[in-house]
Amino acid sequence: MTLRARLASYEGFLCAVLLALLVVNTLVLRDQSGVPMFLTSDNLINMFQLSAEKIIVALVMTFVIINGEIDLSVASIMGLAACAFGWFFQQGVPAPVAIGLSLLIGLACGAFNALFIVRLGIPSLVVTLATMIAFRGIARILVEDRGITDFPDWFDRLGQAGLIGPFPLAMVIFAFGAVFAWVVLERSAFGRKVYFIGSNRAVADYSGIDVGRIKTVIFVASGLVSALAGVLYAARLGAIRGDAALGFELDVITMVLLGGISIFGGSGTMVGTVLAILIVLALRNGMGLANITGHIQTGVLGILLILSVMVPMIRDRLTRLFQRGAHGTPD
Amino acid sequence: MGNVSPTTLRVLALLAVFALTVAFFSTQIDSYLNARLFNRTSTSVAIIALIAVGQAFVVLTRNIDLSVGSTVGCVAYLVGGLVAQYPDIQPLLLVALAIGAGALFGAVNGVLVAYVGLPSIIVTLATLAIFRSILVQFSTGGSITTDRLPDWLTGFAQANAIQIGELQVRWMVVITLVVVLVAHVYLTRFRSGRQFFAVGSNPDAARFAGISMARTILVAFVLCGALAGLAGFMFLSRFGNITVVAGLGFELKSIGAVVVGGVNIFGGSGSVIGVLIGATLIDLIDTSLVRWEVVSEFWREAVLGFLILGAVVLDTLLTRRLMRRKIAAAEAARSPALQKEAAA
Amino acid sequence: MPPVLMPPVQKPPVLVLRDVSKSFGGTRALTGFSLTLEPGRIHALVGENGAGKSTLIKAMTGIHQPDSGDILIADRPVTFRGTADAQRAGVAAIYQEPMIFPDLSVAENIFISHQDRPQLINWSNLNEQAATIIARLGVSLDPTRPASELTLAEQQTVEIARALSLDVRVLIMDEPSASLSDHEVQRLFGIARTLRDQGVAVLYISHRLDEIFAISDTVTVMRDGRHISTRPTSETTQGGMIAEMVGRDMAGRFARTASRATGTTLLRVAGLGRTGAFRDIDFSVQAGEVLCFSGLVGARRTDVGLALFGIAPADRGTIEVAGRAVTITGPRQAQSLGIAYVSEDRRKMGLALEESIAANITLPMLDAYANRWGIIDRMRELADALDYRKRLQIKAASLTAKVGTLSGGNQQKVMLAKWLNTQPKLLIVDEPTRGIDVGAKAEVHQIIRDLAARGVAVIVISSDLPEVLSLADRILVMREGRLAGEFPGESATEQAVMRAAVGAAHG
Repeated sequence: MTLRARLASYEGFLCAVLLALLVVNTLVLRDQSGVPMFLTSDNLINMFQLSAEKIIVALVMTFVIINGEIDLSVASIMGLAACAFGWFFQQGVPAPVAIGLSLLIGLACGAFNALFIVRLGIPSLVVTLATMIAFRGIARILVEDRGITDFPDWFDRLGQAGLIGPFPLAMVIFAFGAVFAWVVLERSAFGRKVYFIGSNRAVADYSGIDVGRIKTVIFVASGLVSALAGVLYAARLGAIRGDAALGFELDVITMVLLGGISIFGGSGTMVGTVLAILIVLALRNGMGLANITGHIQTGVLGILLILSVMVPMIRDRLTRLFQRGAHGTPD
Repeated sequence: MGNVSPTTLRVLALLAVFALTVAFFSTQIDSYLNARLFNRTSTSVAIIALIAVGQAFVVLTRNIDLSVGSTVGCVAYLVGGLVAQYPDIQPLLLVALAIGAGALFGAVNGVLVAYVGLPSIIVTLATLAIFRSILVQFSTGGSITTDRLPDWLTGFAQANAIQIGELQVRWMVVITLVVVLVAHVYLTRFRSGRQFFAVGSNPDAARFAGISMARTILVAFVLCGALAGLAGFMFLSRFGNITVVAGLGFELKSIGAVVVGGVNIFGGSGSVIGVLIGATLIDLIDTSLVRWEVVSEFWREAVLGFLILGAVVLDTLLTRRLMRRKIAAAEAARSPALQKEAAA
Repeated sequence: MPPVLMPPVQKPPVLVLRDVSKSFGGTRALTGFSLTLEPGRIHALVGENGAGKSTLIKAMTGIHQPDSGDILIADRPVTFRGTADAQRAGVAAIYQEPMIFPDLSVAENIFISHQDRPQLINWSNLNEQAATIIARLGVSLDPTRPASELTLAEQQTVEIARALSLDVRVLIMDEPSASLSDHEVQRLFGIARTLRDQGVAVLYISHRLDEIFAISDTVTVMRDGRHISTRPTSETTQGGMIAEMVGRDMAGRFARTASRATGTTLLRVAGLGRTGAFRDIDFSVQAGEVLCFSGLVGARRTDVGLALFGIAPADRGTIEVAGRAVTITGPRQAQSLGIAYVSEDRRKMGLALEESIAANITLPMLDAYANRWGIIDRMRELADALDYRKRLQIKAASLTAKVGTLSGGNQQKVMLAKWLNTQPKLLIVDEPTRGIDVGAKAEVHQIIRDLAARGVAVIVISSDLPEVLSLADRILVMREGRLAGEFPGESATEQAVMRAAVGAAHG
């Protein structure tokens, strides 16, 4: 791709938005004494830290949506895994074992979703809407209205302290995860199949691709990664409640759709998702520094979500506009 | 079962499940069947059933509205704030404002889905957050409390229309029953009501028949919003204290009531009578679990989730079975010779 | 009323098409077409696949607007902006696949278009009115039954009743009998005659010539979007009709090459059948041979192809590949047996238009391009795609461009490349040249001949008679799900093949 085409692509557009946002955040956000608040290493790490779990899940959600499906149950699986960890821990299970068991539960949740979606052919939207309620319900059964705290120090540190330099575990996982996800999605045979299934399921079927297997793998992975994110969430907060990660699916889906991944499947890139993640983080962080409450931030994200579904239309217009410019034809 | 329609059959089955549930809990919980159970359940069903009826209109057209909970909370807060500031406001005007505000929220969803062409799940997932943030913006974090509301408003939730001994039928319950009845008559007896079924049953054929898809879907969302607005008014009257989380979770409960009540989640069939029973069943299980000692009240959400999943799976399997039978019958009719061969 | 004997009077026509033309892009679908429909007559319309029949129907029902020419109703020119307009003017059509609301009752389905009636529905009244209309058709059907319980034939009856409820004066029946049993067809005829006797003008479109002769008063033949002839059915013969349907200038016939069949049987099927689709199919094909399946649309040729590739597997009969008995259950397994199937439907089943050319070509063999970590060797992929671009002369600037940006002919070649890349021993190509231009067509034919020359067994399913006659070493004709004739490629004629395809009596 030429540089010009790159700049004209949707990813180029996202880059521009991100840059603008960074500039605005840097220039506008100052504390009482006029010192810039945004571009400090503490703030930037904090910015990632506060949403680390969501952005990890967004990576796997990219696969789900490109594949032409949706998983509304991710936040509930996160909550369930966190609560299961707390519950096991309370029952005297050693923390490492409890982590393993929680991940297994996430795996099982994903497999449960896949069972109905792949085997029975019920739309993922309906299935995961129901399991979103059901998995959250199980989490509540486990911890009821208690809060569980007093995890081992090493566990809390894993979520809060820097692992490599100032970067905590979740950020390291995200960084490696993003690279891994990019390789799998855009360089591997598996990723290619994911695109084709989302783009045209019948063509994939008739080309001998095992559509059911790929979909199952994706939903199981979605469950597993969500569980991992849930455990990381528990470690970061050092405490667990039944409503852990409640409503996170909205953020996750917004990030992915804003990244230019079509809700109808088949198109979008991992680079787009990562750029959109950075935009959402910068926006949330900026609003936070400007003392805008969480609920309002979520509302702004909602508006962003609607805009992002309209993105394919906007993108097509944009591309046409740029292409016309590039070919130098007069208007 | 010759003349019984699938919808009627579904309602009958629901009634049976309902009776079984009542029977089961009455063996489990001491002095379960009493007037208080009826009074309390009917009042709380009054609110959720209203929302569910609105949701049913939307689901009939192959869409979904996840924003109703936020609409209820937001309308309750707006109306509560208004009446706290102007205590002399006409009660009927207040109700009309609640319905109007709800309809406006519904119209936002409806326009985005029907005219812009965005998927309803995404639109309403977004407006779920947006409507709630409007609430937060207006409340600036503060809550509405009962003592700021006029007496007629807080008293309305307790007012009885009919009282037979201990058994009390609140005005709220009467209103909801009237709404359900009107919706039922509208959906079964009015030409424009039948359009909701037509659009959900076969969109292409509906277009061929000259039915406006976009308008029908918009109307469904507006009705859904309006009923959620009315529910918001009742919510305010019943609880008095409105916080930023008011109405949270109603969206899932209403979808649960709709699906359990036999409205096909893929549109085209169902009845609001079924929805009323579905809402009652869910609420009954909810309140009964609180009183049942074997499991904790925290089982409610899980039970609801699996109930919805079960209803959907049942629907899918039954529909598929029906289709298979139909295809088999059609093929048998087409080639009697083949059929004979197969039998031999 | 006492019977009055009167000489038949020429009634004024209800609908007249005058010089109607319609093009799509560069293709002319209708050229100066004229047609007159009279009340109380059943007018049959026949023509080969692609003769322009469906465009004609769409123009008459307001789905398409003609580029030029007039539609006159009762001598006044009209413009239909949609089906609702046409229905108001009394023109309605019923199709092979009924437009039915499965969740609504029969009565409601009949009156669904009457949205301007009073809002409040009187159900018993509605059911009565529905029953009256159904009775007019001379059939029995409970108006309160949900439409989802009806058979296809009954759904069709509901559609006809819906048209009647609109006070229809012209009823177009597009291949209404294609999926009906003999008994149901007889009942449909009864309905059509009843309507005729009530003064409705019926336009009956069918591939089955025996039906045309059984039911119609007048018959019009069309070919290549033009009107060929209109005459009373009683003055027509099957042979004459067929000659007019195919009557092509033989100079346009493509050159033939000699058969390269090697004598080694690659595929042999016996008694192959799938319930509701086809039955009793017996044939074999040799390595290096080009076997063509001819027949009319709806003859279920594609279903045989789908069965051999495992997309819709056969449920009876035997299949032998290279002398070994096999059961084909799915595309992946068929592929492993060396079978490839190039679909007739590029958009739905053939290519993912949003993905790149190279990715589409390598898709069925994707795992062969991946290393043990599952990473695709993109250089090798691109090299192979380049190879096919050269071999098949695919005109594409970049192989990483989306397939959707290519012309139809080049998309067809990409699809061929995709399946050639699986190194098939048996290649099934379904309508390989539909909708592509003449130059690309000749190139595709050359590709098919080259493949046969290299020892691949090729099955071509085609509705294009000249194509079949120029490509085939052997021709099998199917009709209504069964084999209806076999011809050697070099001596077959269009008339003979068409006669077998429509089931005309011999002679």
